[in-house]
Amino acid sequence: MRIDIDEARCEGHGLCEEAAPEVFSLDDDAMVVDAFGGGEVPDGLAAAARAAIASCPVAALRERT
Amino acid sequence: MKVHDVRYEHDLYSDAAIGDPYPHYAALRELGPAVWLTAHRCFAVARYADAREVLTDDVTFASGEGVGLNPVVNRLSRGTTLNSDGDEHAARRRLLAHRLTPRALRSMADDVASQAEAVVAAAVATGEVDGVRDLAQALPLSIVPDLVGWPESGRQHLLRWAGATFDALGPLNARSARATPAALGMMRFSRKVVRERSTLPGSMGSDVLAAADRGELDRSACPALMIDYLAPSLDTTISAISSALVLLARHPQQWDLLRADPSLVPNAVNEVVRLESPLRAFSRVATTSTKVGGQPVPAGSRVLVLYASANRDEREWDRPTELDVTRDASRQLGFGYGTHGCAGQGLARLETQSLLTALLRRVERLELTGDPVPAMNNIIKGWSSVPLRLVPDERRTDA
Repeated sequence: MRIDIDEARCEGHGLCEEAAPEVFSLDDDAMVVDAFGGGEVPDGLAAAARAAIASCPVAALRERT
Repeated sequence: MKVHDVRYEHDLYSDAAIGDPYPHYAALRELGPAVWLTAHRCFAVARYADAREVLTDDVTFASGEGVGLNPVVNRLSRGTTLNSDGDEHAARRRLLAHRLTPRALRSMADDVASQAEAVVAAAVATGEVDGVRDLAQALPLSIVPDLVGWPESGRQHLLRWAGATFDALGPLNARSARATPAALGMMRFSRKVVRERSTLPGSMGSDVLAAADRGELDRSACPALMIDYLAPSLDTTISAISSALVLLARHPQQWDLLRADPSLVPNAVNEVVRLESPLRAFSRVATTSTKVGGQPVPAGSRVLVLYASANRDEREWDRPTELDVTRDASRQLGFGYGTHGCAGQGLARLETQSLLTALLRRVERLELTGDPVPAMNNIIKGWSSVPLRLVPDERRTDA
């Protein structure tokens, strides 16, 4: 799986970071950062990444289809 | 099949349904993805997946025609962030949100925690309290008016005004009619605050006025923005804290889980908001002919998204009516979702978590000393009183 981030929507609520700290973090401007930079998320982290995507309260994260 | 064939005749806003809406919500979920409510002339979206889909697609399902259920208040609410779309919404939202994100709130966390400690210490010293007045209202009232910079002179009316602002968004019934004068009173006072520039220095309210001075927004938009900050910050959080008290008093084993592991508190807050969602429902208007869960919805239809039902959808949640502070409830829709998702949820979480954490440190168990009384409000699902005994933790020596 790969992740798309809609930066205009991200407000830095940080729920993704709580759900999947190996995949998502917030930078100094409280903008979400994908540890894999839009590249393939390792299979072992995919479930956590999907839970994090579902937890984003402002729909800034999507799984690329 | 005609689009209005799947229908439900009951009034979701009768006194009985306001007191216990859940049987109605279960019936609506059973009927289908979009159910025509004959009493309210709109479609009800009661299932989780469909509710999430509607909230995600803010182009098809617009907020600019209002999110309430009566045309009068939907018209009066124009100019608020809740009630706008597209770039206009994004500009207002940016102004509002940058002071409310968890990052921005980090500097406030210590202050909120010490206010929560003070509120809880006073309540524990009293022993028998009204959980709504002495805990759930006490904390937000000690935080929010200062943050927004609301002048001291207008504070005695705040709870009544803010509750009425929600109530008025219901359908045209006796409750919304009674609430409208108070909701207008809040708007009038807010205009006066903007005119007299009486917001406290350094507050969010002063930010709004400064942005108008710089020409970044129209001065006429300021009063509605002040209400955007203030009105939703009180009853919602008060409802969440009150419901947490009721649920944890009724489920002492869940309280014990939290005492044993306070790191579960953030998740417990999500679970409380899932199980007893503070907001029953808001609506959208379909801008084009579309479908919800495969069911046709004509252009121009009003669509009522029932957060409090989606969060109990048996299609989405195992044991949906059970409190389980260990389940992953982070995808709950109690704060809404998408571009209109609650801008103040960071603050709401901070307040509710701080209050529970302070209680867990001092209180061995919560005991209801009478039946909690439901609050009668068209929009907010909460309690008007929660009679409670706080049994102090004897192990604590520094209390």
